[in-house]
Amino acid sequence: MKRTNRIFTILIFIFLYIPMAVLIVASFNTGKDITSFDGFTLQQYVRLFRDEKLLRLLGNSVLISVLASGISTMFGTMAAVGIHGLKPKMRKAVMSLTNIPMTNPDIVTGISLSLLFVFIGGKLLGQKESLTFWTLLIAHVTFNLPYVILNVMPKLQQMNPALQDAAMDLGCTPVQAFFKVTLHEIMPGMIAGAIMAFTMSLDDFVISYFVTGSDFMTLPVKIYSETKKPIQPKIYAMFTLLFLLILVLMITMNLIQIRGEQNKHKRRATADSKYARLAKRIGAFALAAVLVLGVGLLIFQGRSSTVTLNVYNWGQNIADGSDETMDIIAEFEKRYPDIKVNYITYASNEELYSKLSTGGITVDVIIPSDYMIARLKNEGMLEELNFENIPNYALVDDSFKNQHFDPENKYSVPYTWGTVGILYNTKYVAEEDVTGWDLLWNKKYTDKILMFDNSRDAFGIAQFLLGYSINTTDKTQLQACADKLKEQKPILQQYVMDQVYDLMENEVAWIAPYYAGDCMAMMQNNEDLAFYLPVDQGFNFFIDSMCIPTCCQEKDAAELFINFMCDPEISGANMDYIWYGSPVSEAKQHMDPVLAESDVVYPDQTVLDNGTSFAFLPEEISRYMETLFMQVRNS
Amino acid sequence: MSKELIRLQDLVMEFDGEQILDGINLTINDHEFLTLLGPSGCGKTTTLRIIGGFLNPTSGDVFFDGKRINDVPPYDRQINTVFQRYALFPHLDVYDNIAFGLKVAKLPKAQIHERVQEMLAVVGLKGYENRRTDSLSGGQQQRVAIARALVNRPKVLLLDEPLAALDLRLRKDMQNELKRIQQAMGITFVYVTHDQEEALSMSDTVIVMDKGRIQQIGKPEDIYNEPQNAFVADFIGESNILDGVMLADYKVKFFGRTFKCLDAGFAPNEPVDVVIRPEDIDFVPPEEGHLTGTVTSVTFKGLNYDIIVDFKGFKWLIQTTDHQAVGSTVGIRLNPEDIHIMHKSEYSGMFGDYSSYSAEYDELTEDADDEEE
Repeated sequence: MKRTNRIFTILIFIFLYIPMAVLIVASFNTGKDITSFDGFTLQQYVRLFRDEKLLRLLGNSVLISVLASGISTMFGTMAAVGIHGLKPKMRKAVMSLTNIPMTNPDIVTGISLSLLFVFIGGKLLGQKESLTFWTLLIAHVTFNLPYVILNVMPKLQQMNPALQDAAMDLGCTPVQAFFKVTLHEIMPGMIAGAIMAFTMSLDDFVISYFVTGSDFMTLPVKIYSETKKPIQPKIYAMFTLLFLLILVLMITMNLIQIRGEQNKHKRRATADSKYARLAKRIGAFALAAVLVLGVGLLIFQGRSSTVTLNVYNWGQNIADGSDETMDIIAEFEKRYPDIKVNYITYASNEELYSKLSTGGITVDVIIPSDYMIARLKNEGMLEELNFENIPNYALVDDSFKNQHFDPENKYSVPYTWGTVGILYNTKYVAEEDVTGWDLLWNKKYTDKILMFDNSRDAFGIAQFLLGYSINTTDKTQLQACADKLKEQKPILQQYVMDQVYDLMENEVAWIAPYYAGDCMAMMQNNEDLAFYLPVDQGFNFFIDSMCIPTCCQEKDAAELFINFMCDPEISGANMDYIWYGSPVSEAKQHMDPVLAESDVVYPDQTVLDNGTSFAFLPEEISRYMETLFMQVRNS
Repeated sequence: MSKELIRLQDLVMEFDGEQILDGINLTINDHEFLTLLGPSGCGKTTTLRIIGGFLNPTSGDVFFDGKRINDVPPYDRQINTVFQRYALFPHLDVYDNIAFGLKVAKLPKAQIHERVQEMLAVVGLKGYENRRTDSLSGGQQQRVAIARALVNRPKVLLLDEPLAALDLRLRKDMQNELKRIQQAMGITFVYVTHDQEEALSMSDTVIVMDKGRIQQIGKPEDIYNEPQNAFVADFIGESNILDGVMLADYKVKFFGRTFKCLDAGFAPNEPVDVVIRPEDIDFVPPEEGHLTGTVTSVTFKGLNYDIIVDFKGFKWLIQTTDHQAVGSTVGIRLNPEDIHIMHKSEYSGMFGDYSSYSAEYDELTEDADDEEE
């Protein structure tokens, strides 16, 4: 019995810690791949510490965690003392109320807070930008409070209530009594609460995601917005360090608690207590110093720049200096020293839309896709551009002008473009089978086929196969597409987005529809991969364009930025990183020839004529499509 | 002695609709050792906490040196307290515990040092300055608590069952110690206890309380010898309490016989409670006795025997050094000074019958009394 128990315990530990172990091992792996361990290296850690941006984000996360845990420990302790003073019945009721936010789904808390901030900031105070560093801080303090109360409360209950009386008896006012006596008694609870709050803050993504504004971003939010491409190994290194930090904090917390218990039974020498007092003082001083430093830094940051240009782009959609590419933002700031760029990212067109439409964010340049441009334009959320400030627009190919989403070329300047085709592995897929979108329905490759995990792209493929328009609003046609997709489901391996990189490069799957630029990138990592564009059946052709939203505060600087991005040299350097097509033909001379000459990224003009771009669908239709897709997925 | 220091006037305390104090009136004199004595829940600790300022009475007033202090918070009263379980500050060592009040009052360091050393000497803890309080024995912690209160030189020291957590031997030592400290410092002690022996041996004045009311105020001897009702008679020492009728001054009738007594001032034929202390009864040969009865049980107690004698179905406790055999017939004589007469009260008939007496009875009740509130 004892042995089975022990085995069971070991199994549970393995189960709990294996994911972390994998990550830690991966952070020391020489290979880029997590599926095979090629050798030991510290290279990822070196890269991590050379990546200033990543470190600054980490600094942001630590700063917000320290401030939030400090403030919530203060307020949480005050709240706990207040609750402790209530009559027992009332105390129980209030305690269960304060516990509810902990069990409340984060997403609900996040959305509610975001709505509240936008309402108060935007509607009541009339601020242009209602989501800021301060709202993020308030949100973190809010969700940390219950954890502090939960930790402090038992210490208050364990405390001999006569201690407070004794202090007052000896001349203390109630406030003095709290600081001279109660505080010392509940200190272990406060420290435990603060550490817990710190860790909760450090790794919070969901709530932060909804209340993050343009001026301040934490690490988890940033990482999420960058999952379009596979996660860089240096991120593994950072996670490993974060995991170790939290581990150390947790162990410290447990040690403090164990110490506290022992003190009640054990005698301790005086020298020890003198040291403890000294340590406490140093700790308090350090905490105060960090708080002062953090606030000072913020004020300093807020005052230092001249013009701040807020650029809101897709994650990993601009060259950032990594892998020998150009750091486009740094280059821009070098050329225009008066302008400081604040670069923030989103993960989808829909996220961009919701942030903009709720007024939670104020930005100067955005880079939405075709159908979203149409939507934003229709809803009056785009500013007309002054093309006198954008002379480089003349260099943009005519084939990218006069698009349906901006027929008069008033609101948008193309940034990148691309197609959606099929990526397949030539080792396993017979060339004669590669004839069109039907390949994704070919039973011969059962369990080796991947499919888009988003309704618009998935329905698009079915629409091309069935000969419908990809912008159809006919519900019977959409139903027919859904039936087509249902037919495909049994032979699919799975529905995926970013995981496509791992699955295809490692030959776990053989066939997948995906965006040309990403396919090109995967082909660089596995020579057997090939790209096919079903020209006859039709394919999706997309353009991401730069626009200026109506909330823009620095229009001149924004237009300067747009113009800069159309500079062939810059555009070319940018494409070296993102691997999509540049709308500026001249840019080809400034990019990696592999890319410039690739017919995956730059198909013939005659080929391109067969592509169709997505138009904005009425809300009712897109929701209907979404529902049908869910049914397909769950069938 | 005898200058009035504290006066409680018509104190009433209600807690969630429950009456804790019901009209307390009392005066505490300067330099007096006054004890509030009573069973658990009698209101003695509540009274003490009102004097200390930790509770506000529902109605009634507290006067200190002639001034009403109802609204004066505890930290502004010239009163210090020794708490039930000491309530020493666990994060401070002995020295800092004692110096706590002086530091709050912002006295110069040198003066604090001098006064703490002086107090350490008074309570006999010199050399323990840097010890943590949780490394001290119960008695030592008790002394620290006393020193911590007295170092502030209060006019009054409140002590809430300070010896309850100590074992019997230590309790006896500390009783003497407390009395010595009180006399040496020359200040007023207000002492709360449920231990009647402690109260009688230490106090100048004892106040017996029950059900939120004062039952009797008096010197220890008076409380013992002249209890005012059956409750006091029973709570202080052991008593046989009998129904009687006061025929006239100095004449009381019970058990169908008329006895001479020392009491007067009752209405003719007033029904009364008659108290006879167990140690005041002497055995005589049956034929010489005022009453004759049968011995039903004998317990050896060391100093004496506890003997239960059945008189016409009513069982008495008699404490004597003479051994009597169980079942033997004995006679007793009652002298006038052995008989104490009390007016009838709400407690009449509740105490003083030893029909269910057993040797363990005392110990059981004492244990149950240990915890108050």
